[in-house]
Amino acid sequence: MDKTFRLILLVFAILATSMVTEVVLSITNLQRANRSAQWVNHTHAFIAEINAAVTAGQRAESALHAFLLTNNPDQRAQMSQAFGELSEHIEAAKALAASEAESKSEVAELETALIARADIARALLAAHRSGDTDSIHQQLSEDDPTQIDALASLNRRIVSRHQGLLQQRDRVEFNRDNRTRNTLYVGAGLTLLLLLISSWFIRDDLKSRRREAALLAASNEELEARVAERTSELKQSNRKLRAENLESRWSAQALEHQLRYNNLIIESVASPVVVVTRALNISRVNPAFENLIGELAPALVDQSISEFVKLAIDESGDEMIDPFELSLRSNQDLVDHAANAIDHNHKSRPMLASLHPLRDHDRVVGGVITLRPSN
Amino acid sequence: MTQNILTIDDEEVILSLLRELFEEEGYSIAQASTPREAKAAIAAKTPDLIITDLQLANSDGLELVGSIRQDLPDVPVILLTGVYFDEQTIDEKLSTKITAYHNKTAPLEALLKTVRKLLSADESPTASAEDQ
Repeated sequence: MDKTFRLILLVFAILATSMVTEVVLSITNLQRANRSAQWVNHTHAFIAEINAAVTAGQRAESALHAFLLTNNPDQRAQMSQAFGELSEHIEAAKALAASEAESKSEVAELETALIARADIARALLAAHRSGDTDSIHQQLSEDDPTQIDALASLNRRIVSRHQGLLQQRDRVEFNRDNRTRNTLYVGAGLTLLLLLISSWFIRDDLKSRRREAALLAASNEELEARVAERTSELKQSNRKLRAENLESRWSAQALEHQLRYNNLIIESVASPVVVVTRALNISRVNPAFENLIGELAPALVDQSISEFVKLAIDESGDEMIDPFELSLRSNQDLVDHAANAIDHNHKSRPMLASLHPLRDHDRVVGGVITLRPSN
Repeated sequence: MTQNILTIDDEEVILSLLRELFEEEGYSIAQASTPREAKAAIAAKTPDLIITDLQLANSDGLELVGSIRQDLPDVPVILLTGVYFDEQTIDEKLSTKITAYHNKTAPLEALLKTVRKLLSADESPTASAEDQ
């Protein structure tokens, strides 16, 4: 696994972790927000019930006072309805405050104060039923106004405390929202940053790979060119070697052919033919000469020609020079000179001998002797 | 198109070496050891050039060339022989029948040059061993 791939893998692992963390945080915050909303609704409902209970109590007392003054049954009915609503709101407030001890205590305190007011109302109604106007006036005059103020104060205190709690909760939620928002922004920023880093790595790696590929391709091209050049050289060298080999074989066969051809010429001559060296020793004979002497070539080669061909010597001169030697020395042909051929039985036979010097670049290297019978 | 050379010689080794030489050069080769084989080869495919030996079994290369010339007057003929002919003999006697003369002792490269020259020329020049 190469370095870039490991880096990209690491970046994606961090990205995955970051995203999972964000998702977990978001779900947790959503749940918290949901719970908080429920609490806020609950608190608002509690405040509303408290306010409604106090308002119902005030309406009931107003209706009672109006009934006492006017004796209007509608007012009495309104009073009864208001007390009934008061009772319902208190029950609702008690139910809403059931999970919190302080709220429970507040509701109980409020209920006690309202019950005290209800007791006064019941006493006034009882006096009204009995027609005891004095008692009514007395009770009304004795009614402690601070009790009503205390009830109002209690109501404000309860509402104020719960509103304070709401504000506190609101601040907490605000801060939490900010934190969540910041966390998401940081997460998104981190993700973007990691993606950018990853992209940069990938781009850098691709660029590097492309560069390496280009270098490799160039190297391959160069190598191929070198191989092609070397192959061409080898082919040329091989072709040259084969040509030299062919030429060599051609030369060998030409030489062999030439020798065979020369041999054929000598051997096909019907007259005896002897080839001699410059020292007049036999180097070659033809079958006619072998027949004449009665010996085969191996017995004749390297023997002096004078052993087998005796020339007639002109004895008139002061110096007796062998005519064959003279012919070779003077480089002139000797033609039909009288001679005797001596066979292996030392039998003599008269012949006419001719010698033709063998010239190699103006140098006599030997001679060819031919014999024919003398008639 | 590949050019066709007919080589005529009664020695197998000569034919073999010539085949090797000309095939290496990309020529198509037909070969014959006797005049009869030579005529059959010519009938099968007209050669662009003929190389013949002088001394053939029971025949003569020049005589064979004389009879071939009647049908193929424009085909160049090289006489390749071990028999030595001097320049005068070539000019006066042989040039009427053959286009070029080569002695078998001469290098193959010289023969190859003559073949290339004859097969690339529009007009067949007369060459001799001395030209090489």
